Amino acid sequence: MCIPEQDSPVWRRLFHAGESGTPWWAHTANAVAALLLISAFFYYCLRQVGYEWNWGPVWVYRQKFVTGWLVTIGISAAALLTSTFIGVATALIRRSRILILHHAGTIYVELIRSTPLLVQILIFFYVIANAAGVQNRYVAGVAILSLFAGAYISEIVRSGIENIAESQLESARAIGLSEAQTYRYVIFPQAIRQVLPPLTGQFVSLIKDSSLLSIIAIEEFTLNAQEVNANTYSGLESYLPLAAGYLLLTLPLSLWTRRLEHRFRYAT
Amino acid sequence: MIAISGCGNREERPLLVGMELAYPPFEMSDESGRPAGVSVDLAHALGRHLQQDVRIENIPFDGLIPALKTGRIDLIISSMTATEERALSVDFSDPYLRTGLAILAGKGRNVAGIEALNRPERTVAVKIGTTSHTYATEHLTQANVLVLNKESACVLEVIQGKADAFLYDQLSTYRNWNRHRNETEALLVPFQEEAWAVAIRKGNDSLRLTVNDFLAAFRKEGGFDRLTEAHLAEMKQAFDELGYPFVF
Repeated sequence: MCIPEQDSPVWRRLFHAGESGTPWWAHTANAVAALLLISAFFYYCLRQVGYEWNWGPVWVYRQKFVTGWLVTIGISAAALLTSTFIGVATALIRRSRILILHHAGTIYVELIRSTPLLVQILIFFYVIANAAGVQNRYVAGVAILSLFAGAYISEIVRSGIENIAESQLESARAIGLSEAQTYRYVIFPQAIRQVLPPLTGQFVSLIKDSSLLSIIAIEEFTLNAQEVNANTYSGLESYLPLAAGYLLLTLPLSLWTRRLEHRFRYAT
Repeated sequence: MIAISGCGNREERPLLVGMELAYPPFEMSDESGRPAGVSVDLAHALGRHLQQDVRIENIPFDGLIPALKTGRIDLIISSMTATEERALSVDFSDPYLRTGLAILAGKGRNVAGIEALNRPERTVAVKIGTTSHTYATEHLTQANVLVLNKESACVLEVIQGKADAFLYDQLSTYRNWNRHRNETEALLVPFQEEAWAVAIRKGNDSLRLTVNDFLAAFRKEGGFDRLTEAHLAEMKQAFDELGYPFVF
């Protein structure tokens, strides 16, 4: 059944996404309705729990939430830079013709991707960092988070590079570009477009994963919320600000990812 | 959710006892993974007293009071100290065990006592939500306090020299020192005395009074001596040798 878009009644345009674009008011109305439905569901759940809310004691500790939130930003930002560097380096190493480098890169990526981050943090901090004499737990925390995210980023970068058609590389060779020049002028400019959206998504994961550093007593957002929880015996009051705090960091990044995906869709 | 709120006959339902099974020999899992220990035996004795089945719910320590408040469990028997702060959130039975906070110090760290730890160059490990965590937050304001989720991690921090000391109760401190005699030393004289009690949802006075009756009767018929013999014989002997009064 095919109804021309323009002739369809208003109620139909309100509920269905049209093929030739949906009016903004339909989007807004439906987004608000979905939000209300989800809020109503949460409200119902909270009512069912029969929980007695007591925000007073948690409010006393508000500074702890802010400090933890800032530490989470700091750790995530540091890990973001380091992991990008590790990721690009590993992607290049895995393309290397020096076999030991190629295999070392592969083993690193597979080890990281096949074990839980929680286990990696414990082993890295209490075994490797201890043996290496790294006493500062924040340095160790950023290092393990970077190693973890770096493995995933290297896969993103690798797929970005490998997506470039073989014919382009042959053309580059044909016009006499060296390997370094090929990377500089042919591969990277195109790969960056491919890589940027999934990379931003990876940073969202990185921010969320940083919460696991709480197990080695790094006083980031999650540990501080847990401490407030323990100090006030509250339970749920600390978790709601915790969720909101992470959303505040990750939602803008997620929305930006969406925009990047849109912008680069037809770029190559 | 509907099932939880809607179920009617409370007598049919087992008594839900919350504890963290990470605190041997009080709360732990045996080789086959079943709950075991002093508190588990105590919970089952309480169940016999109430003529009700008992189900042990394994919940992290800092999640026990929230679980009690939200009705996921009926009471807490988890080596929990009855403190004033906790009493704002839950009601406590009469105390059933007396103990105190002790210090597990790294060997050669020259920890003379709790005052020696309140310095900027000192690092103290505590387990989250425990009374030693509260103590460190309130009294060790100069020291660097590490808050960890697991007792084992706290001990590891001391052994590796990342922390000068780990603050915990006497029995655990003794047990940890016993296992790591080469790396640690124990200061077992308590710097803060405390008593453990059963926690019950606020206002549930009938259950609280029944638990009190049970504890008194259990003590009278020698139940706590049997628990000591079954789980704590070695520790009691060590405490007797050191001249400390035992916990029950």
